[in-house]
Amino acid sequence: MYTVETFDLTKHYSGGKVKALTNCNIRVEEGRIFGLLGPNGAGKTTLVKTLLGIIHPTGGSAKVLGQPITDYHIHNKIGYLAENHRFPEFLNARQILLYYGKMSGLSKETLSRKIPELLELVNLSDWADVKTHKYSKGMAQRLGLAHALINDPDLIFLDEPTDGIDPVGRKEIRDLLLKLRTEGKTIFLNSHQLSEVERISDEIAILKNGNVLQIGRVDDFISVKSQYQLQIQNGTLSFSELCAGLNIPVLQAEDHYTVTVEDERHLNRLIDKLRAEKVLIKSIVPRKITLEDYFIDVIEEGEAL
Amino acid sequence: MKFLSIVQLTFRESLAKKTFIAFMGISTFICLLFIFALNVDIVDGMQSGLSIFGKEVSNQIDLTKIIYGIEGGLSVLLYTAGIFLSLFATSNLIPTLLKPGFVDLFISKPVSRFQILSGRFLGSILIVALNIFYLVIFSGLILSIKTGIWNFGFLWAAVIIVLSFLVLFSLMTFLSVISKNGPLSLMVTYLILFFSPLLLARDKIYALLSSKYFGYFFDGLYYALPKTAEMGAITQFLARGVPIDSWMPLWSSLLFAVVMLGLSGYIFQRKSF
Ligand SMILES: Nc1ncnc2c1ncn2[C@@H]1O[C@H](COP(=O)(O)OP(=O)(O)O)[C@@H](O)[C@H]1O
Ligand SMILES: [Mg+2]
Repeated sequence: MYTVETFDLTKHYSGGKVKALTNCNIRVEEGRIFGLLGPNGAGKTTLVKTLLGIIHPTGGSAKVLGQPITDYHIHNKIGYLAENHRFPEFLNARQILLYYGKMSGLSKETLSRKIPELLELVNLSDWADVKTHKYSKGMAQRLGLAHALINDPDLIFLDEPTDGIDPVGRKEIRDLLLKLRTEGKTIFLNSHQLSEVERISDEIAILKNGNVLQIGRVDDFISVKSQYQLQIQNGTLSFSELCAGLNIPVLQAEDHYTVTVEDERHLNRLIDKLRAEKVLIKSIVPRKITLEDYFIDVIEEGEAL
Repeated sequence: MKFLSIVQLTFRESLAKKTFIAFMGISTFICLLFIFALNVDIVDGMQSGLSIFGKEVSNQIDLTKIIYGIEGGLSVLLYTAGIFLSLFATSNLIPTLLKPGFVDLFISKPVSRFQILSGRFLGSILIVALNIFYLVIFSGLILSIKTGIWNFGFLWAAVIIVLSFLVLFSLMTFLSVISKNGPLSLMVTYLILFFSPLLLARDKIYALLSSKYFGYFFDGLYYALPKTAEMGAITQFLARGVPIDSWMPLWSSLLFAVVMLGLSGYIFQRKSF
């Protein structure tokens, strides 16, 4: 069973003028951290809100934890940290967790045990009795995180969780998410910042203008195309022609060539050819592209959409 | 439990607004006034003399009249100023609920949208009911204990006042759900509140109308909209012990509230946030 599964999920506003999400098909396996990446306005929030029944789709359908998204009962196993969430300002952290915990169907006894634990977890114990209108953005965000965990959910949606949080806090949140994964929880993470997602996600989808451009494991993303940097002893032979014969695109730099091959076998055919021509190979180095390069590439390719 | 927490949160939110605290303060002041202004001398276990605001009252019949009069006056005050202020104080409870980032948190809980809206509605009604019953019960007890005259009509008047508030609040809820705008919803609700006496007196302008269809139109409006003028009269009659000839204004207004709530629920259900 997938924890999240969408079938051509679509949300258009203003009679189709604003295409916030178009024919989205994603699947999230249990116990994974799923990172949904995309620039601002890509449709990430729209997707999450649709999965939670906050936004009604204009097309397609979806399931969370095996239930259709119209079934609100399943929300007792779901946690949600909304982007720009807004808690009642006249309450303190403890009271907020109490009210919203009760709304999740938890008993007073469970809550009186759970609340101090969670406040400790997000480092808000010292602020537990301070009204939230005095909180900084980062503190509000940490309270939001505690709120998302109050019902010990199986599936957690986090919409830009590290927004307004300093680098140390970000690291803490990443560690927390990794810990939650070891407990078997599924985490659906929205972010426009690649670095936040890249380090911890098992799987990533890239969204742009409401379209899923790419989806897959983080490693797969980088090795979609294999590129190698080759240094050879320049002789009489035309390297470019030789590559053209093998259908290998080449880029020439000052002291090396960069070749793009389909796989290792393809690369070896090139090496065989070079050796047959008695060309001296000085070095072959796989070219690492960072996910960031890749992300920007995909986003720019998607520009045409 | 889940539903109750929505009601409680709404209640708590109203308290935080301080308007209701002020409301309670005024009520307490009125009650204290009665405690000190009403002077009953008991001589040999018998009531020998009574003074209200320093004026001597000689016989029992006059006294009953005065107590019913005071309670009638209080219920009119509560019906007019009380409802007016309550509508003002509750006018942003529904629009706040609908704010992005706030409503999301409710919908993401295992509660239905219907429960969210009705919990919010009930919480608003309860805080107003609490205020109204506080004044009525407290002041009624003081008056009755001091004079020995028990007027349960005053309590019934409080029930009608709360129901009238409920009717107007359901209109305001409907307006808020479609417009998300608190001040606008409040103004339109006030307009209906003040329009009601005019509709009641519509036969006075029938002669001026060019067509009988206008007459039907005003009749239609009269029956469709909350009959606040007549419910005010019912409130006062109940408090003063005057028999009521027709309950139609009450039940037709309650019907209006049911329709408003049904529509609000339907629209809220279909909204994306
Ligand atoms: N209520 C709405 N009405 C019209 N357009 C909307 C509405 N909500 C979001 N949008 C548009 O949908 C697109 C996706 O928005 P969003 O899901 O918030 O993106 P992200 O979370 O990736 O930044 C944006 O272009 C946004 O302007
Ligand atoms: Mg967003």
